[in-house]
Amino acid sequence: MFKKLILLGFSLLCAINLHSQKFVPNIPIETFKGTYTTMSKELSDDSYYILSFWATWCVPCINELDALNEVYDELSKDLNFKVYAISTDDARTKRRVRPLVNGKSWKFDVLLDENHDLKRALNISGLPHTIIAKQNEILHRRVGYAPGEELDLLEKLKDYEVE
Amino acid sequence: MRLNKFSLFLVFFLFTFSSFAQSNNYFYGSFESNGVYYQESESTDYDKKFASNTYLNLKYNLNNKWVFDLQTETYLPKQLQNYSDLLEDTFVSTFSINFNTNNFNFTAGTIYEQFGSGILLRTWEDRQLGINNSLWGLRSSYKKQNLRLVLLGGYQKKANTISEGKVFGFDSEFTVYDKKDSYSNLLVGLSYLGRLEAPHYVSYPFEDLTNSFSARIDYNSDNFYLNYEYAHKSEDGVVKFNVVSETFIKSGNAHQVNAGLIKDGLGLDFTFRRLENMGFYSERVEFGSPFFETTLNYLPALTKQHDYLLTNINVYQSQPNISFQDPSLMKAGEIGFQLDAYYNIKKETFLGGKYGAKISLNISKWNNLKGNYDYESEDYDLDFLGFGEKYFSEQSLEIRKRWSQNFNNIILFVNRYYNKRFVEEKVGEINSKMLVFDNTLKLNGEKSARFEIQHLFTEDDKKNWFGYGLEYNFSYNFSAYFNSIVNYENELEDKPTYSNFGLSFSKNASKFMLSYGKQRGGLMCYGGVCRYVPEFKGLSFSIITSF
Repeated sequence: MFKKLILLGFSLLCAINLHSQKFVPNIPIETFKGTYTTMSKELSDDSYYILSFWATWCVPCINELDALNEVYDELSKDLNFKVYAISTDDARTKRRVRPLVNGKSWKFDVLLDENHDLKRALNISGLPHTIIAKQNEILHRRVGYAPGEELDLLEKLKDYEVE
Repeated sequence: MRLNKFSLFLVFFLFTFSSFAQSNNYFYGSFESNGVYYQESESTDYDKKFASNTYLNLKYNLNNKWVFDLQTETYLPKQLQNYSDLLEDTFVSTFSINFNTNNFNFTAGTIYEQFGSGILLRTWEDRQLGINNSLWGLRSSYKKQNLRLVLLGGYQKKANTISEGKVFGFDSEFTVYDKKDSYSNLLVGLSYLGRLEAPHYVSYPFEDLTNSFSARIDYNSDNFYLNYEYAHKSEDGVVKFNVVSETFIKSGNAHQVNAGLIKDGLGLDFTFRRLENMGFYSERVEFGSPFFETTLNYLPALTKQHDYLLTNINVYQSQPNISFQDPSLMKAGEIGFQLDAYYNIKKETFLGGKYGAKISLNISKWNNLKGNYDYESEDYDLDFLGFGEKYFSEQSLEIRKRWSQNFNNIILFVNRYYNKRFVEEKVGEINSKMLVFDNTLKLNGEKSARFEIQHLFTEDDKKNWFGYGLEYNFSYNFSAYFNSIVNYENELEDKPTYSNFGLSFSKNASKFMLSYGKQRGGLMCYGGVCRYVPEFKGLSFSIITSF
């Protein structure tokens, strides 16, 4: 048993030290219209992207997106960035996504990752999970949301822009 | 299929390979480990014992065209309580080679796929529930202009083995028209799934091959959408008391209609669904497996998905199957509907105040299929749109309101009817009302606090419950919580109380959690799938990281 655990631990350390996921994989993803686009098409502009993985039943996810929505107008005047709210709702709750987004008047684009193809390809385990990307290059990622954290996320974005 | 040595070889091979790799070729993955020391458990197998589930996923990207994906799972010294007994030791759980271009994708190995809304096929992984019903075979998908086509075939994973039945099918989707820069379009889709299971020890009086197909149409416009899906499953033996019946043979079908209305600040969604004998497994005898082993399709409960401790007591589980328990308890499926409404009350209005408010309403009702059921001759005759015994109904209203820059809250009210006799095949009916206040206060710097109180009012079953929770965020990365629920009017036990204390630390894509306390036993639901769990008290930890 210990041999195996050591091996697992070793593999993990190697992996963390030597490698990390650099790009958002180019896989098909569904739009509100039920048609498919690809991630590289969506992330092709020369701007920064916030990819927020959420679900209609995830309370902290909605708190994060509500908070981002509040500051979005103000910040998008100075910062060149775009937000994608990527819903991981499956068949149980997917139909609720479009009415919910409208009911909340969110200003972001929404993509649907119904069977978690993108979530799996990005190795995301828990929600909310937020990624900052420049085109399809991953610059930063974080799990969870605490009130006010959206400001920290936007600070990070500003730092990247200054660089 | 145990591939331990093979897996270790692969890990080393890929690591070696990657160290010579160019920048375009890289390694990434995730690690997750969940462990519990059971200080006390209702299950004697776990009392005073430690158990853990560990998942290591490694992916290798080659030229942005190829992805090699390997996952090992370790259950040491044994699997967590209420995971399948077949999950033990260390084994390669999934492995695949994927080739991907913009229009073409090919996978050999582990396949995750969903046809339409999943009525015929959905293979996915949910570690919290111990579900991984992926297929092991070949899949290819092709997209050209208006057409999208998926072809697949293989065997289904069953814990650390593969199941007996062969599964194969296709899914197609055709865009009839699609207006640019608007939501307007029309899509049609057609799917087929076959399951061939011919056990050598028995010859069934029905076909070894069960065919299922579905057709769907999806219309969208800027302010309105409407879609309909129909599915049919050919005749198959009904599983009764864990045996495939040779006399009770039925086909199955499903109808689902969904419509919605969208206006700025308002969203309405309505779904009607009728399921008749639609449970589908790659191994017939696994029907109704508590671990969802060999389940092929996804037929979730269409009700509001709750996130609070007390609103999660007595939630609905969909009833897609035939069940003839006794002459007073006969079911052939479910019929019902769900309505959701979302409304945004604008800022600077009389009701909205300075910051506005958000309202959501959910109404759902689910019943047995109405008809004449004959227990003796194992048959039924159904009214197509008839509502039989009521399984479940719920009305809920949620208001989210910000009161100041630093303070906001959520008020949730739920009114629920739950027919325990028909849903769980036990005794009783429960009428309950629930009220939740969830308050968040932003403090100085990165600090914030959350306080919630909740109450469940009922004269039935175990009577009233009360609960509260406190959460304090010391910074964006570090938080602590305490929550407690008490069944203070329970007549059989003296105020059973379930309290938990936990710490959570997160940094970038990693999270570490530690908690201690007592977990409520009974039916636990997550993501629309439910399972019975024994009550336990213990120390739990969880590590999640993506790299």
